[in-house]
Amino acid sequence: MLNDYVLTIISNIGMISLIALSAYLLLVTGQISFGQQAFFGISAYAGAIATTLWGWPFWLALIFGSGLAGLAAGFIGLLTLRISGMYFSIATLAFAEMIRLSLFKLTYQIEIDGELVGPNGAEGFGEIRWIFDHDISVLEYTLLIYAVLMVVLVGMVLLERSRLGMIFRMLGSDALLTRAQGLNPVRYKITAAVIAGFIAGLGGTLYAHSFTYIEPQIFNVMLGVHSLAYGLIGGLGTVLGPLIGVAIDIGFLESIRIFQGYRMIVFGGLVAVMLIFMPRGILDEARVYWIKAVARRWFNA
Amino acid sequence: MTDFVQNCIDGLMFGSGYALLALGFTLVFGVMKRLNLSFGPSIMLGAYAGTWVYLNFSDNAWLVALATVIATIAVGIYVERLCFRAIRRDSTIASMVSSFAIWMQLEEVAMHLLPERTYPFPAFFTTTTIEFGPFYARSEHITMLLLTLLLLVLLHVFLFRTRPGLALRLVSDNPLASAYMGINNSNILFLAFALVSVLGGLAGFLILSADTQVTPFFGLWATFKGLIAMMLGGMGSLPGAILGGLLLGIVEANAFWYGGAVIRDLSAYLLLFVMLIVRPGGLIGQKIVAEQRAADERV
Amino acid sequence: MLKVENIVTRYGAIEALKGMSLEAQHGEVTCLLGPNGAGKTTTMFTIAGILSSHSGSITLDGNDLTHQSAPAIVRTGIALVPENRLVFPEMSVADNLAAGAYCRPRSEKTAIDQDLAQVFDRFPPLRKRREQLSGTLSGGEQQMLAIGRALMARPKILMMDEPSLGLAPLIVDEIFKIIQQLNQEGVTILLVEQNARMALKVAHKLYLLEQGAVTFEGSPTEMQQDELIQRAYLGVGAD
Repeated sequence: MLNDYVLTIISNIGMISLIALSAYLLLVTGQISFGQQAFFGISAYAGAIATTLWGWPFWLALIFGSGLAGLAAGFIGLLTLRISGMYFSIATLAFAEMIRLSLFKLTYQIEIDGELVGPNGAEGFGEIRWIFDHDISVLEYTLLIYAVLMVVLVGMVLLERSRLGMIFRMLGSDALLTRAQGLNPVRYKITAAVIAGFIAGLGGTLYAHSFTYIEPQIFNVMLGVHSLAYGLIGGLGTVLGPLIGVAIDIGFLESIRIFQGYRMIVFGGLVAVMLIFMPRGILDEARVYWIKAVARRWFNA
Repeated sequence: MTDFVQNCIDGLMFGSGYALLALGFTLVFGVMKRLNLSFGPSIMLGAYAGTWVYLNFSDNAWLVALATVIATIAVGIYVERLCFRAIRRDSTIASMVSSFAIWMQLEEVAMHLLPERTYPFPAFFTTTTIEFGPFYARSEHITMLLLTLLLLVLLHVFLFRTRPGLALRLVSDNPLASAYMGINNSNILFLAFALVSVLGGLAGFLILSADTQVTPFFGLWATFKGLIAMMLGGMGSLPGAILGGLLLGIVEANAFWYGGAVIRDLSAYLLLFVMLIVRPGGLIGQKIVAEQRAADERV
Repeated sequence: MLKVENIVTRYGAIEALKGMSLEAQHGEVTCLLGPNGAGKTTTMFTIAGILSSHSGSITLDGNDLTHQSAPAIVRTGIALVPENRLVFPEMSVADNLAAGAYCRPRSEKTAIDQDLAQVFDRFPPLRKRREQLSGTLSGGEQQMLAIGRALMARPKILMMDEPSLGLAPLIVDEIFKIIQQLNQEGVTILLVEQNARMALKVAHKLYLLEQGAVTFEGSPTEMQQDELIQRAYLGVGAD
């Protein structure tokens, strides 16, 4: 039952969830980013280079790739501090496209065992063989992906309950009011950007090693909008929101044959309709609050 | 040096196409304070209708242009109803995201309608090369530049000398006060979309007939170019759209000459990014203090 | 005459107007007085067709206006000078005035031009600043512009929502002089005000609106003689 095909879908859900969570975190702080795919891509390339060209152990490559992504995100966060709303969104879009186009120019190849390996511009970066070289099965790698995802989820749940998390939500609700409370939005915006970039980065390195081949075209605007849409559909009230969004898209739409080739039509329409009737998703803050209240009453009874 | 000037000339020609696209974006933003990211794919579907007419009915360029414009208007209505009219007035960002989602939807629709890689488009212009001194220009590009200027003049006359044009400007300035004057805001917004669709359809037709083909990448391309050009000039500013388009054209032409296709596209985005950080209001747009309020809201 | 009968207007679940009635006679200045939140602007909006009433009726000289759209109501001859002026800031004085005449048919072009000349005669500062962006005008000038803009519709009834709001006392005097003058020239005015003193000077009939319902109606003299009103709105001390 758990054949490779199903496992592939499950691992995809896991990795895409990471970039969805990344976009979600920024959404919660009130910033709509069309560009998280840039950090996904930076980490994919960096992590893959680390294992394939430099022979680093996987965990180190993961940290390296994600760290680089987080740093890049922080840098962009710094640059875009003074702009918000539509301008910020378009700026993230521009940045992401700049990264994607730069990857077309990235050629860094080393000869290993008589073959040239490494990113080669438009021809992509293949032979990312770490999993195979270390005899890791699809199942084991899927478990690894979900282990990472679990850690991130736990982290984000803790974040949600922490003061930092509350400040993030405050920023998203009313930036002016936050400033009036004596809190400097600068630190928090950048912190959010770095964390979000790091999370997207985790997904990126995992992705590169799972697919063993990456090319610039993968990290395009479509990926970015999808990551955004997952949170918008699933709900911005809880970390489960983006996960639900991913499950609906990859788990449901991708798998059901009727939708083959019509996925975008359905998904795009779904997003538009959600924005009309439930702009903050299925599990928005109000609904989550209600669910918690009901649960609390149940347990107290 | 000759190269540089030649590039600038080429850039101006291309830029006029970008300017037309930017006009569409900036008009919608001016009236609705929202960004329509489905603009490009709407035009592409319009162009597909045009090419369909071309392939199956007649090779009369005027007919193709008409089909393109009408189809663009039809798609425009769909987008307007779903992504703009249906969304609460103060959720301007929700409309942007929604139009982005519909962009993806329209792209897939296009892929299904016409699955080939490229379709022919009638050549509206005669192709000759005009030389002046050490420089040259293609006649179809000059024609496009002239037609763009003409459209600009017509647009200006419409906005400043007609009653519906006045209404459009009034609603752009203060929708509430317009309601008091007895202006039906919904109708005016619809008019704006129709006008923009016409502009877009014409822009698409001109650009594609200079190219004599339409490919599935046109939607994405048109949206990005128009968006960048608009933001360079300043959102909501008509002269800004023209300036932005021409500037983008010149930068791209030179970047392509000295660096190639990837460098060209990279430069366009870099220019946009820098502009947004340094002067988000664009070249002509106002300082973004007042606009921030519009930009500063959640979905 | 404008007759408003038992209007109930709601904002969602909240009843802002709980069955209010008033009558504005032609040639008179009728004033709706009341504190903040009483429902004065809501009344204006309902009459102007910007808000829809839940029940009740509004008629102008026998014509039923109750559920008509704002453009239709403007065309029947009711023009509104909104609270806080609400000029079109990025547009010129001339364009603002043109906006006022928007609902009039093209065939009336000569009449519209005449009205425009009249507005400039009435308000010389506007003529001086004809091409200036209206957002750059002073408060008093903007109020003149707002009134002029409403007059461009050649209304049967001019509704004015708190014309004194946010203006310096000297300017307020000027504005009310204009209101008096307009009325003397035959313009029917429905005025909404918080400034009771000024209102008493110009109005022929007054209504007091409190919490969505009319609690008093009468002439200025009657209102001045009412002790409760004296204390609440006219600042006469308690004994």
